[in-house]
Amino acid sequence: MTVAEGAKYVAAAYAVILAALLIYYFMSARRVAVLQRDVELLEDEAKRRQAPAGEAE
Amino acid sequence: MNGGSWAQFKAILRKDLIRELRTRDMLVSMILFVLLAMVIFHYAFTVRSDTDLTYFTGGMLWVTFIFAMLLGLNRSFAQEKDEHCLDGLLLCPVDRVTIFFAKTAGNLVFLLIIQAVAVPVFALFFIERGFLGDLLPFLAVLLLADLGICALGTLLATISMNTRSRDLLLPILFLPLIVPVLIAATGATTLVFAEGAGFGSLVARLLFLLGFDAVFLVAAWGTYDFAIGE
Amino acid sequence: MKKLVSAPALFIGAGAFLIVGLLLGFWWAPVDSSSMGFSQKIFYYHAPIAETSLVAFGIAFVAAILYLRTQDLKWDRLGYVSVRLGLLFAVLVMLTGMIWGKASWGTWWAWEPRLTTFLLVCFLYAAYWVLRSVVDEEQRRATYAAVFAIIAFVDVPITFFATRFLPEGLHPAVITSGGTGMEGSMFASFMISMVGMTLLLVALIRRDLEIEDLKDRVTDLKTSLGG
Repeated sequence: MTVAEGAKYVAAAYAVILAALLIYYFMSARRVAVLQRDVELLEDEAKRRQAPAGEAE
Repeated sequence: MNGGSWAQFKAILRKDLIRELRTRDMLVSMILFVLLAMVIFHYAFTVRSDTDLTYFTGGMLWVTFIFAMLLGLNRSFAQEKDEHCLDGLLLCPVDRVTIFFAKTAGNLVFLLIIQAVAVPVFALFFIERGFLGDLLPFLAVLLLADLGICALGTLLATISMNTRSRDLLLPILFLPLIVPVLIAATGATTLVFAEGAGFGSLVARLLFLLGFDAVFLVAAWGTYDFAIGE
Repeated sequence: MKKLVSAPALFIGAGAFLIVGLLLGFWWAPVDSSSMGFSQKIFYYHAPIAETSLVAFGIAFVAAILYLRTQDLKWDRLGYVSVRLGLLFAVLVMLTGMIWGKASWGTWWAWEPRLTTFLLVCFLYAAYWVLRSVVDEEQRRATYAAVFAIIAFVDVPITFFATRFLPEGLHPAVITSGGTGMEGSMFASFMISMVGMTLLLVALIRRDLEIEDLKDRVTDLKTSLGG
């Protein structure tokens, strides 16, 4: 097998690895973004609910 | 192991054996299953009139035994669960591990009974030469492989019976784990039946099976407390 | 968010090792003298990924033991995060192994020890997930998963040895480190990539655990608001 042919297989293997890792990373990054946004929204909501109670006192 | 554990072991083993021998449901079904499997194998694998399945005997035998064991385990544990036998047993001050050994021994006895019927019939259907001379090495393989199958099977059945999918889960958990036993046992069996191998050429596989049994018996001993739960 | 700021350092470190290892493997280490030739270069990531997936399952094994001893669910969490990543790496081992096999032997599949072992490993840990999915109660699920993780990990080396009993097929050469021994430069490149891959595993585990913590936070907030 010539170097050129071998190189194609090597490139394919490394591409698979890179693709898998990147996909995993970016899927988790999206999860993180969604969760962080949820946390912020929920924390804001919690503060909002406390504020009127505080004002009423 | 103190005297109390041994007495408990015997008691549980006796209970399981008597219960099954009285009704004989499971035994009869498993024996029929094994015999049917052989017939099916014949029809499935005989493509030409001169097909010689001698080299496949190991594989056919052990596949049959493993699947029969899966059926039997599912049946006996499902029965136990439905009749709440296990709950009653757990209320007694029995060491959980003793239950494991007793159940494994019980399953081993059933498997041996089935094999005692199946192997001669198998030899009749599939093996082209007499094999009485090679019986001893084969029995050694049989015993060691059976032990591994029963120990792992009992442990996993205890877990799978308490899940949502019950009997559907057991093969998924069991089969990948039992592959090493399958490899060693089928190789050894085929060597005995097809080539009349003696102990010498089987030593490696026998030692391997011994190691497998030792490792998993210890692992089960350590974890059975947790597997049997609350 | 402060918690996740620490993770990038690990990722960058991992990436550095991996890139250096890759470059060394391609430009410094010589082309393999056996019939594999250039395709042997796949080894520089293939083997580290294999080791790393086993490390992940080893972590799950330890976590399982710790869970059974302490009944603390945080160990269960570490367990399933590790198994998930280990499974990802194991699948990668299979894929790269198949590509390498195609290059070396001309076929995509061969029933040779390493590919077969990893195939079984994939089935084993897929079973772990199935087991988790059919138990609803948290502590019981963690207990069963822990028992299985322990048994599964013990079975991995046993399976590897068992595959040695299989008869040699058309593909006698096991994928070794490129021959009877590795040259110094090959070994060094391989080790550097190994370190990188292991760091990557640690970074990913850490990140996944932090995501789980985030999920907990969301659930807690929702409960306190809605409850």
